[in-house]
Amino acid sequence: MGVLENRFQDNVVVASMDKLLGWARSTSPWFFQFGLACCAIEMMATAASRYDLMRIGMIPRSSPRQADVMIVAGTVTMKMSLRVKKLYEQMADPKYVIAMGSCATSGGPYWQHGYHVLKGVDLVVPVDVYIPGCPPRPEALIEGLLKLQEKIQADRPLTKKIA
Amino acid sequence: MSDEQIKLIEKAVANALAGDMDAINDIEDRVTRSKAKAALVKAKRLAKATTPAEDPSNTDELKVGDSAPTEKSLSEKVAACLNEKFPNSLEAEDVNGHIQMKGKNWFKIAQYLRDNPDFLFDSLQCVTGYDFGEGEDLEVRYNLHSMTHNHTIEIRIKTDRNNPKVPSVEQVWRIGDWFERETFDMYGIEFEGHSNMIRILCPEDWEGWPLRKDYETQETYHGIVVPKVKDGWE
Repeated sequence: MGVLENRFQDNVVVASMDKLLGWARSTSPWFFQFGLACCAIEMMATAASRYDLMRIGMIPRSSPRQADVMIVAGTVTMKMSLRVKKLYEQMADPKYVIAMGSCATSGGPYWQHGYHVLKGVDLVVPVDVYIPGCPPRPEALIEGLLKLQEKIQADRPLTKKIA
Repeated sequence: MSDEQIKLIEKAVANALAGDMDAINDIEDRVTRSKAKAALVKAKRLAKATTPAEDPSNTDELKVGDSAPTEKSLSEKVAACLNEKFPNSLEAEDVNGHIQMKGKNWFKIAQYLRDNPDFLFDSLQCVTGYDFGEGEDLEVRYNLHSMTHNHTIEIRIKTDRNNPKVPSVEQVWRIGDWFERETFDMYGIEFEGHSNMIRILCPEDWEGWPLRKDYETQETYHGIVVPKVKDGWE
């Protein structure tokens, strides 16, 4: 605890390390931009200056190795589903997935008759936050990201989990 | 619209056709007036379409028509030319906006159509697959366009459903490469002589031909369920 040494009086516990880590991680979840269809346009708009994702600590990365969050934005075809899975596996732990838009959550307009569309990305990878909309507005995406931040903050990476 | 309005409009249009536009302009109700004007335009157009011969401006065209009674359409010209150059290559003699052809000589015919100075079809604009239904044939349709002459024809080639094969024109028009791969992907029509006859949109190991009428979606793809599985979401 080099940073905190000699800063406070004796016997004062400021915060648990867990909380500190949770806070640090939740405020810089770099996302892996996974633009697959029209949702990608809204995602780009969210990251651009008007909605400015940088203010909540998010930067788009184009490599799964550098990302903490995967935003699946758009229609996932059967052909793509294998790639989605592979890219998810390439991300470093801890990793999170956001299903953006109705296609990624449930197949969207291809729900019943689209032979080529995966009926929800959660059939392939575990999803943390679902964002409805076709496509969702940037406000909706930001709401989903804040929900994800809450979830990351609640994580206790150092605490031993008792099964 | 009430009967009264309809009568009013009819009367106004009749007057206007006789030359009295005030009959329409005097209608007070704005909606009725605009309806009457629309009816007038319609009536004028109808009168023009039914009596072209009476129109004095059309007499020049009529004279040309007299000397050459029926101008051959482009499809007919092409069909006649093909009949001469490649006998027995047409499936049907009568040309109805398109040319129905046998697949046999298609590659050579395509080259001929591209290079003949009368036609110069230098652009293959579209290749379409077509399924006539269960037990029926499949068909491939080609839309050709000439940049030089600015004319277009459609060529159709039927092929057997159980063993669909059509000669490839990839070497004639390079765009045919992807067009034919897409047609293969969706209908399973094999293009003989194509250098890379594999699926273009679906995954390589996909089963079946999605746009055929008897297509049934496979149950799983690499262990992932394909048809809808989540209940209670509607």
